[in-house]
Amino acid sequence: MSTLKHKGKGPQALTANTLRDGLNVWLTPEFEWSMNYAEALITEDTALIDKMNTCGERDEVNNLVVGVYFIDVEPDTGLPARYREKFRVKGPTYDTATLVPLEIQKV
Amino acid sequence: MYRYDEFDAEMVSSRVDQFRSQVNRRLSGELTEAEFRPLRLMNGLYLQLHAYMLRVAVPYGTLNSTQMRKLADLADKYDKGYGHITTRQNVQFNWPQLTDVPDMLEELASVEMHAIQTSGNCIRNVTSDPYAGAIADEIEDPRPTCEILRQWSTLHPEFTFLPRKFKIAVIATEKDRALVRAHDIGIEIIKNAEGETGYRIIVGGGLGRTPIIGQVLREFLPRIELLPYLEATLRVYNRYGRRDNKYKARIKILVQETGIETFREQVEAEYSELVPLDIAVSPEEVSRITDYFAPPAFKKLEACEIKTKDSALARWMKHNVLPHKVDGYAIVNISLKPIERAPGDVTSEQMRVVADLAEKYSFSELRTTHQQNLVLPHVEISELENVYKALQAAKMGDANIGLISDIICCPGMDFCALATARSIPVSQAIAERFQDLEHQSVIGDMQIKISGCINACGHHHVGHIGILGLEKAGVEFYQVKIGGDPSENTALGQVTGPGFSQEELIDGIERMVDHYIEIREAKERFIDTVRRVGVEPFKEVLYV
Repeated sequence: MSTLKHKGKGPQALTANTLRDGLNVWLTPEFEWSMNYAEALITEDTALIDKMNTCGERDEVNNLVVGVYFIDVEPDTGLPARYREKFRVKGPTYDTATLVPLEIQKV
Repeated sequence: MYRYDEFDAEMVSSRVDQFRSQVNRRLSGELTEAEFRPLRLMNGLYLQLHAYMLRVAVPYGTLNSTQMRKLADLADKYDKGYGHITTRQNVQFNWPQLTDVPDMLEELASVEMHAIQTSGNCIRNVTSDPYAGAIADEIEDPRPTCEILRQWSTLHPEFTFLPRKFKIAVIATEKDRALVRAHDIGIEIIKNAEGETGYRIIVGGGLGRTPIIGQVLREFLPRIELLPYLEATLRVYNRYGRRDNKYKARIKILVQETGIETFREQVEAEYSELVPLDIAVSPEEVSRITDYFAPPAFKKLEACEIKTKDSALARWMKHNVLPHKVDGYAIVNISLKPIERAPGDVTSEQMRVVADLAEKYSFSELRTTHQQNLVLPHVEISELENVYKALQAAKMGDANIGLISDIICCPGMDFCALATARSIPVSQAIAERFQDLEHQSVIGDMQIKISGCINACGHHHVGHIGILGLEKAGVEFYQVKIGGDPSENTALGQVTGPGFSQEELIDGIERMVDHYIEIREAKERFIDTVRRVGVEPFKEVLYV
């Protein structure tokens, strides 16, 4: 859980991958996991961040998510500060799946 | 091609059961993620930027139609309807769910495939010449040697936890289509002065953050000594390779720090302690395995050429079709580099088309290439037009093999958890800028290679033009190398200087290409001109 401890500056969000399907998720204000970043809890409140931390640890132990960590969020835009995290939010800019009819895609 | 015996089948099948149990125990919480991670990696399952990724082994790049159809089925049933050919001839699926992976592995086992040793600090999938068994100038088909290495290295008890991953490539021609000098061990099948067939062993090559060209460890190794000698080499690496720093753990660093002479002495000393015949493969066993790779039942055909007025077909035959060792046959390269797509990606529909073509025209055989394309190795020349039309209809008829748009490109930031910048859009932008096929023909042989981080999965160090994607303060920029060469004249490119935005990069590449066309002599390729005039004139036009 070493990556989980809050070390960032400014507003934070908590992200992870679901254990079963591996997809990216963010912790919501209801302390549930959403695949929609727009629903992410973003806060600078240290008490709330501690609670998010506890929630992340709990859900890892409960085998709901893996690879939990905090990300820095830009105060102005509400988007992740790090370039890599912006991609986790937006998904691939090119995916060959767009060439495949949706009805034959499992995912 | 090789067919599993009862031991292979039992091993792969039991491995599926084992992994299914491991997944169930992970889901129930009996295994923590820390305990499970090395187990899933041993079965080729990574967790990437957006999802899990499953890497399926394609031993030495050889597949049959049934296996290709199975990959297509897996793509539809468990993924998003496509797969990706890697620079080590494997196939990756970008979106599998953990809960489905045991079923995927079971389906793969049904067609004699698996994902074992496609990750982890072990001996990885052995790669080879995609034209093996079809090209005229090979000393012998290298695949029996690859298969012997596969059997030796699979679940080898001593070499399952090496200091770092270990990659081996084998070729049997003077022309290198497998990048052997950029592998931990490269093996060239050669003949000595007495006409005996044996091996030249090259060690300590690699790309990544410390690119090094491999050096000759043994100039000629008799055939019978192959496994004992490799066993000794791996033992020396296992003993002295650094485990304190993963960035210095590859054998290339050990060889560089030790010096090739001392390293050779260490290997020979270890070798002298072995009882070689305990490990050596008997000639009878070599013969048994070689029989699996016996040539298909070629017809007796006259040597012939196709004369066509169809300029598109003529261009395709010029760039994508190569002479075969048997009269009347040809080797067909299938480009997976259309302008608007991600290099190496192939949809399930296309996989089925290729499987059908292989079945109808190539004895059900096909190959994956480290250049991220596919090959039909044995096509009758009289059927080339039919093959071309079918490929064209499936959007795989691009006549650009070896040209500027035949780019090696890693998945980059679009998929990879380690990447620092995107590489797919850069590849697409270059292909779009040079989309005129006539102009591509005029430019001629050109190897552009793009990596989205310093780990160099896109082989940028050996690109005639190599591109490395980096990021600073939220902005992607691209560093350029010039003068690399992935062929038998392996060379590492030189960094030109500060990086560019994507737009500046494409303009700069165009200026370098224009400059090359302006100053080239006779039939010089881009790389020949760079060697003749040096990197400096190209830097000048790049940074104009």
